[in-house]
Amino acid sequence: MGLISFDLTNPQTSLEWMIYLTSKYFKMFLDGTWLTLYIAVLGTLFGFLLGYIVGIVQDMKIGEGDNAVKKFLVRILKGFASIYVEVFRDTPMIVQAMIIYYGIRQLGVNLEPVLAGIIVTLLNTGAYMAETVRGGIGSVDHGQREGAWAMGMSPMKTMIYIVLPQAFKNIIPEMANTFLTNLKMTSVLNVIAVQELFMAAKTVGGNFYKYFESYLVIAVIYFVLCFVFNKIFNLMEKKLKGKKDYVLAVEYMDSQ
Amino acid sequence: MDNTVISIKDLSKSFGKHEVLRKIDIDVTEGEIICIVGSSGSGKSTLLRCINKLEKQTTGEIFFRGKEIRDVQREINEYRAKVGMVFQSFNLFSNMTVLENCMLCTRKVLHISKEEAFDRAITHLKEVGMAPFINARPDQLSGGQKQRVAIARSLCMNPEVLLFDEPTSALDPEMVGEVLNVMKELATTGLTMIIVTHEMAFARDVSTRTIFMDQGYIAEDAPPSELFSNPKNPRTREFLSRYLAG
Repeated sequence: MGLISFDLTNPQTSLEWMIYLTSKYFKMFLDGTWLTLYIAVLGTLFGFLLGYIVGIVQDMKIGEGDNAVKKFLVRILKGFASIYVEVFRDTPMIVQAMIIYYGIRQLGVNLEPVLAGIIVTLLNTGAYMAETVRGGIGSVDHGQREGAWAMGMSPMKTMIYIVLPQAFKNIIPEMANTFLTNLKMTSVLNVIAVQELFMAAKTVGGNFYKYFESYLVIAVIYFVLCFVFNKIFNLMEKKLKGKKDYVLAVEYMDSQ
Repeated sequence: MDNTVISIKDLSKSFGKHEVLRKIDIDVTEGEIICIVGSSGSGKSTLLRCINKLEKQTTGEIFFRGKEIRDVQREINEYRAKVGMVFQSFNLFSNMTVLENCMLCTRKVLHISKEEAFDRAITHLKEVGMAPFINARPDQLSGGQKQRVAIARSLCMNPEVLLFDEPTSALDPEMVGEVLNVMKELATTGLTMIIVTHEMAFARDVSTRTIFMDQGYIAEDAPPSELFSNPKNPRTREFLSRYLAG
């Protein structure tokens, strides 16, 4: 026996309880962690995709030379986009979860809680990302577009090859932030019976009436997850900044 | 065969109530090197931007090889592919290397093969002395180098006309020369060029025709030998004396 010893058959202190609960319900916490990650990753990825699409729609301009059908379609799309963004930004995610889950069930569709959780997360992410993408597009110097237009690039191609790559780079920190937020926000999905970490803690805590210890366990798990991802994102950001120097193409030096 | 490339007819442009261009008529003939001079706010840059359709004219028409350029995106794109533009602020794509900058539009607009795009890029980068820098990114270059790359990038499209919007105005004085030299070289190739500039010596020596703009009007349109030595319009005289004195 070392200096610190735990009597895990008869836990007394909070620390002992934490270890006891963790080892006894290891599988439950592990499953909860996986599910939390699963929902956060899928919800965020699809949310980003949706956010990009909605952000691009919101940035669309109606040209005077466009035909009536295109003008009408763009207006409709823009209308839908702004209603969507407003609604999801102005209501709490926990309420959205309830409405979507029970709403779809009332329609007679038996929606899996996990799928509902992913849908809620992605819709929520999409609304926030749309604004971020719009801001990112706006942050790209207008001269970049003019440079492309002046060589005959269509507005669409300009968006794909020039504006979006630059906007993407500008909003990477915000995207990382959104992912971390989602990782933590999945905890509200326990209200629609998703067996993620928060639900695990609630169940485990209830078994022994040890809520403090049980939630402390998942706090540590959330912290470690976020901490690790944060470090990974920081590294990625550094990598993406690219090299400061460049290789001189010496084979063309004599042309000077 | 009519060798008028661009024809501008009765073009006006207003921003709200402010009239920037009034009744502009210009015919640009193949091989001409037109320098547009005038004080700031006289409308020269706006005129150039109208020619490239980056600004929409309020009234008037622009013809390219006798065909009117209407406000239809596809027509505008096709037209712009033949009329290149070099900007004051370079507008090199900052997410790409020098080589990628020179290859993107030839690949995506003209749809030429990768090999040909590469060959064109290298040829024109050599012309402007920037071939060794193909791997550099725009923010690693000096202003003069950026502008030379921008010129090469435009040349890759094999344009019929090249527009220059104050190409040396954003440069440090010691870099103006390298860009002007490149432009002088280009002038000898027979490429049609329209250049908005404050470099009076360049306009006098290189242009085949100089246009003086004042308050949105074309005040004088003459060969440089005439315009600089014997200006007809009192406003031109005033402008030139201010420039030559200062």
